[in-house]
Amino acid sequence: MADTQLSVTDLQVRFPTDRGVVEALNGVSFDLEKGQMLGIVGESGSGKSVTAKTLMNLLPRTAEIDGEVIFEGEDVRAVARERRKHFWGVKMTMVFQDPMTSLNPVKRCGEQIAETLRYHLGHGRKMALRGATDLLGQVGVPEPAKRVHQYPHELSGGLRQRVVIAMALACEPSLLIADEPTTAVDVTVQKHILDLLDRLRREREMSMILITHDLGVARGRCDDVAVMYAGRIVERSATETLFNESRHPYTDALLRSIPHIDQPSHTRLDPIPGRPPEMINPPVRCAYAPRCRHAREDCLTSIPTMGGVTGVHEFACHHPANTDRGDAALAANVAVGVTPAGLHLTAGAGSE
Amino acid sequence: MTEIIETPQVPEVVPKKVLGVAFWVAIGWLFIVSLIALLAPVLPIDDPGEIGAGGPREGPSWANWFGTDALGRDVFSRTAWGARISLVVGLLAITLGIVVGGSLGMIAGFFRGWIDHVISFVFFTLLSFPALVLALLITATFDRSLRTVSLTLGVLAIAPVGRLARASTLVFAEREFVQAARVLGAKSRRIIVKELLPNVLIPMGALSLLGMGIAIVAEGGLAFLGLSVEGDAISWGKSIVDGSQSRDLQNNPNVAMFPIGVMFLTVLSLNFAGDRVREYFDVKESAF
Amino acid sequence: MAGTGRAPLRDRPDILVRVEDLTVEFPVGRHEVVHAVSGISFDVAEGETLGIVGESGCGKSTVARSIIRLNTIKSGHVIYHDKDLATLEGEDLRRVRPDLQMIFQDPISSLNPRRRVRAVISEGLSIWGDDKGVWSQDRIEELMVAVGIDPEFGERRAHQFSGGQCQRIGIARALALDPKVLICDEPVSALDVSVQAQILNLLEEMKSRYGLTLMFISHDLSVVKNVSDRIIVMYLGKACEIGTADELYERPRHPYTRALLASIPEPATTVDVAEGNITGELPSPINPPRGCRFHTRCQHVTDICRAEEPQMVAVGGDHFVACHHPVEVALAL
Repeated sequence: MADTQLSVTDLQVRFPTDRGVVEALNGVSFDLEKGQMLGIVGESGSGKSVTAKTLMNLLPRTAEIDGEVIFEGEDVRAVARERRKHFWGVKMTMVFQDPMTSLNPVKRCGEQIAETLRYHLGHGRKMALRGATDLLGQVGVPEPAKRVHQYPHELSGGLRQRVVIAMALACEPSLLIADEPTTAVDVTVQKHILDLLDRLRREREMSMILITHDLGVARGRCDDVAVMYAGRIVERSATETLFNESRHPYTDALLRSIPHIDQPSHTRLDPIPGRPPEMINPPVRCAYAPRCRHAREDCLTSIPTMGGVTGVHEFACHHPANTDRGDAALAANVAVGVTPAGLHLTAGAGSE
Repeated sequence: MTEIIETPQVPEVVPKKVLGVAFWVAIGWLFIVSLIALLAPVLPIDDPGEIGAGGPREGPSWANWFGTDALGRDVFSRTAWGARISLVVGLLAITLGIVVGGSLGMIAGFFRGWIDHVISFVFFTLLSFPALVLALLITATFDRSLRTVSLTLGVLAIAPVGRLARASTLVFAEREFVQAARVLGAKSRRIIVKELLPNVLIPMGALSLLGMGIAIVAEGGLAFLGLSVEGDAISWGKSIVDGSQSRDLQNNPNVAMFPIGVMFLTVLSLNFAGDRVREYFDVKESAF
Repeated sequence: MAGTGRAPLRDRPDILVRVEDLTVEFPVGRHEVVHAVSGISFDVAEGETLGIVGESGCGKSTVARSIIRLNTIKSGHVIYHDKDLATLEGEDLRRVRPDLQMIFQDPISSLNPRRRVRAVISEGLSIWGDDKGVWSQDRIEELMVAVGIDPEFGERRAHQFSGGQCQRIGIARALALDPKVLICDEPVSALDVSVQAQILNLLEEMKSRYGLTLMFISHDLSVVKNVSDRIIVMYLGKACEIGTADELYERPRHPYTRALLASIPEPATTVDVAEGNITGELPSPINPPRGCRFHTRCQHVTDICRAEEPQMVAVGGDHFVACHHPVEVALAL
């Protein structure tokens, strides 16, 4: 288990724009063990996709990147120029939300997979095409021999996503990053795609990072889950721990705000007030403080660092939920009816 | 039973867009040219028709800023008076194009179906018809008054403007806010005027500045064919033609070059201003 | 699934909208049509929330848009207050429009970028100003406060607001005309997870405050269950199953409903996860399967499913299913 495959340390990404510097990532650190499935959960703008793109070297040139990414003992950001073209897409690959962004609409599916094989592995034309058919079979595309000759637009959304996955697997990667792979498809198809990814990872002992906004997807499929908010990982632990003993008030509130299939209808939801923060010139405070029921004065003056049990259950919060310290903070806020950040608490909010 | 659940905060610092110095330089130039054109009759300049306002074919001097032409007429005052015709032709032509082409294009894009087919067919016909032949035809059939020349260029502007209006209308008519207006009970006319027009007007406004520039240049083209405004009326095109005999161009380039320069700067300013205006009003509809 | 038949229609005095055998087809190319909705019947009682759930291409949005006549109806009836909306045209149609309003999926696209928030919200009032009496700025303020937008920001344009705020503005616009029926077409699916609950709660609040009847279209089974009293499950232009929300999720009878419930990432406990493995591709709506439209992917398929279209039948209480072989479930909780 202790075989670390990917180690990300204090990753920072900034995008200079006309309106100011967007601080997209503010010190993201995590380790991924071989064969592990890590879920990165967050809302739009939380930095989950930027994290993936940074790992894949896909950020625009204007991005300012700091921090260290060690993949299989090698500093990714220092990969020599001549090795670059056979690094990304080979050992480390990515599957995107919309399969059509990765597929060339005017080329047959088989050709596109074969191209990857020829480019990276130097296969001949015939062998590459046979490899492509084989790969399509492995990802559960029915009648692979027929599908290799079809164009992407002739396939359904679910099949397209399988073709993209086949393409990503072509070079037998040891790490697959899936960025919202099932957001564009229906639930019945989603199940198939997630089942497939799960199967492939076990068969090939591949590590996987699953990026999603859907807490249910992360809960059902991942070994570990990291929750991101405003460019930081705010909580990280084994999946069941995270969902059952969430410590960061954001995780806690998010879980409460989502309707659950087994709740009776008209169960009153407990929404998170406000909205995600601006990422341009954020003030020095906990980014979640303005929406947080637990926020105290210290949350407004300092950014909490990762605490908890290192490597087991980490969270970045001064007053973690479901702890004595957090309960005290909440009680103090409820007593005056307003948090130091100015969030008004209604009477019901205190009932935990 | 409820009060405000929360008051969403809108960022106080809305980034201010700026048009830039160059835009204001362009506008300044257009303003000066228009002012001189407007005031030409009362400005202390020579009569543009006055033969012998200076010696023939003189270079620029204090008396004649742009020099004089073969007949000794003051080129500056001819350029100033020419601006009156050229600017009016440009303005009238593009107004006609916007009003007729714009409305037809919006109607086609909004109602679609057979109305669209008919209007699009008209646009295609206009576009396929050789512009020069059309101009020849109209000016030959009618007189060569300011009105006819403007009308000719205006007719030529209808199809390009109309196609742009149609395309933008098609895009916006698909949007959910148009459906929302329909569901509220808005009539088609109200939807076109209140929902679509403000959106279509931006690209049209930018295009109209560009189109005015094109019309001004086109007037110059007509002048070379002898199809511009007839009689003593002076336009930039006609002034340029006056100085364009090869002997003049060699020995007295000022006669043609000054009106050309003024025309060039004016059209450049129009193009530039049009581009900036479009960018300025282009809203990025991203959620924060 | 393929269920036709008017069995789910209830004979109650408080039925507000009654949809009978609604069929919608869109032409594609020269000779073909997409069978978007094929003979669906249901009703909505006053003050009720009806959920319509199904995957993309099932026709749920088309049903919603047909009721407010944003597309043409091929056949069938939409009865509202003794009027058949399916056949109303011109001014007659326009006059009933204020009663039925809609919330759209894309909050940004549903607001005109050139208009100010106050103008957007008051649009309905200014359209009908002549007939419905003079409206005042107080009404606009009241609406803005009700949906949680500070009236101070009324002069801003839509693009300065976030997705959730735009959806609030869209709700205020729809409510301005005091509608009876509010149709919500995937109102939260474009929003961030943390904002979805705000909008869902807001809709519930508006419903009780303004006495609305809601039709809620979504692909998200959990969301639909949370907001709805009664739910229709649709597949390929047909209704498979109709029932009260809790009953339907507690005792799903149609194989497709069960497949949906078993497919979601955290499957419902009332079904077996293996039921989520429905195979095959969604058939083309241009050429839908004969008989039951779900038969090509159903685990329980027999010959009768291929030949004969199942009718909607009652399976106890307010619960109807269109299936030749509805799954037997224990009746005890």
